[in-house]
Amino acid sequence: MKALRVVSAMMRASVALALQYRLEFVVEGALAVLWMAVALIPLMVVFGNRGAVAGWTYPEMLVVLGWFVALKGVLEGTLSPSLMQVVEHVRKGTLDFVLLKPADAQLLVSLSKIEPWRVVDLAGAAAIFVYAFQHIGHAPSIAQLSLAAGLLVAAVLVLYSIAILVVSIAFVAVRVDNLLYLFQSVFDVARWPNSVFRGLLAVVFTYVLPLALMTTYPALALLGKLNARTAVAALLGSFLFASVARLIWLSSIRRYTSASS
Amino acid sequence: MIEVSHLKKWYRVHRRQPGLAAALRSLVRRPYEDVKAVEDVSFSIAAGERVGFLGPNGAGKTTTLKVLAGLLFPTEGQVGVAGFRPQDRAHGFLQQITLVMGQKQQLLWDLPPSETFLLNRAIYDIPRAQYDATVAELTELLDLGPLLGKPARQLSLGERMKCELAVALLHRPKVLFLDEPTIGLDVSMQATVRGFVRAYNERFGATVLLTSHYMEDVAALCPRVMVIDKGRLIYDGALPELIRRVRPDKRVILRFSKTVERRDLEALGTVVEHGDAEAIVQVSQDGLQAAVARALASLPLRDLTVEDPPLEEVMRDLFAQGRAA
Repeated sequence: MKALRVVSAMMRASVALALQYRLEFVVEGALAVLWMAVALIPLMVVFGNRGAVAGWTYPEMLVVLGWFVALKGVLEGTLSPSLMQVVEHVRKGTLDFVLLKPADAQLLVSLSKIEPWRVVDLAGAAAIFVYAFQHIGHAPSIAQLSLAAGLLVAAVLVLYSIAILVVSIAFVAVRVDNLLYLFQSVFDVARWPNSVFRGLLAVVFTYVLPLALMTTYPALALLGKLNARTAVAALLGSFLFASVARLIWLSSIRRYTSASS
Repeated sequence: MIEVSHLKKWYRVHRRQPGLAAALRSLVRRPYEDVKAVEDVSFSIAAGERVGFLGPNGAGKTTTLKVLAGLLFPTEGQVGVAGFRPQDRAHGFLQQITLVMGQKQQLLWDLPPSETFLLNRAIYDIPRAQYDATVAELTELLDLGPLLGKPARQLSLGERMKCELAVALLHRPKVLFLDEPTIGLDVSMQATVRGFVRAYNERFGATVLLTSHYMEDVAALCPRVMVIDKGRLIYDGALPELIRRVRPDKRVILRFSKTVERRDLEALGTVVEHGDAEAIVQVSQDGLQAAVARALASLPLRDLTVEDPPLEEVMRDLFAQGRAA
């Protein structure tokens, strides 16, 4: 598989880049661990004082938070840095080199830079899951785990598609750094189960910007509370979303005119 | 190998008056206008040719190159490269071409060039054996040995350009588009780059289309020259013929054994330079024979040579003519 070889070559280069500057590597690592600790400790401390919110017990809400931490790691560890590079490419006109490669440009730009230390986020998410299920009192079944894994794929796909949509705008608008930041801020909403939101917000976060699909549904799957209809709809919806993002990406690439020499 | 017929490329650009007020107004209303980068250009280039693309800034050279590489869609006209329509950017097409831009780099800035090599090996799907052979060959031709392990940002401009060329040629492309490959390089590095391009062309039979502001590049590398000005092709042929056409005069360089009166030189032609031991006289093509005979007979000469006018002057005159017309 050529695509896999390309991805692994890009990952190699990213790791090499992270290791290139020794001091920065150490500082980044220390920071990642520190931030994770800062994020986790208060959760454990306030545990006893919370009742149920919008039908979610506190350990159940922790499961949502676990997915949020994991997806934030994916977003900030792979998608954001790579896509910030696209914005740079567009401004400097070096996107030409990407477009001249005999490989899918979307693949090349979306994984061009990875921050290896963000695996700490995944470890943090795992810790949150373990802690939450200890309090719930039973572990998820194999079926629940595999449904959750399927929904994780859907969640990453949707997250990725949103990022690609933002970058497609960069071809026309050139500067979209702020749009990426805006999305990262909006993404913070996904730390809460979507039933916390009412009315218009609930609709927006489920259908327009499908944050519910990213954290709430996988959490429900893990908890064994997701019905099959919603699961199938979420999977199909994410593929549809990704296809639309792909089409928009292709058409904006076609419109792209490189910065002059 | 390359076929272009009636190529036209217009850009739409957003234009505004200077000043803050105009900047504010442009947030609301954006007047656009068409810039005609390439008006009507046709040519064809056979496999293995080395062609120089000349023209002043903004003449349409880079635009044409980018259309040929598939980066820009032609507004009108047909373009074919290696049997493909470039704008489709088919992988089969991209495997056969490369674009080197003197002012932009694809090397990963913080990493040694060898890392970019490995990345491109995966992207171009180059088999191990072929990759090793190509790297060895390029290392030898460009003397890359000591450079490959140093981070790109610590290389000098010339060293970086050599690595840029190498990384652009790892997949052994059949068509090379070189946009100002020697810009900013010192004279000896320019010569190195030229020598390399020629060697690559001869060894692999690759087609080379090169733009440059340095006439020396074109004179040394390209038997065929295309001149573009204001989006139109105004000359396509051999360089000596272009020089004859634009500047049908010759420069006679005289070295004297003793000082000569300016008056005696003016009898030969237009005096360009006049010193104690040397003078340069501009003489029309037709009058050359008579002028040389006269100089030999009447002046205290130690040496006499006849040269074409300097290329830079030829170009200046050529584009000045274009403007006047």
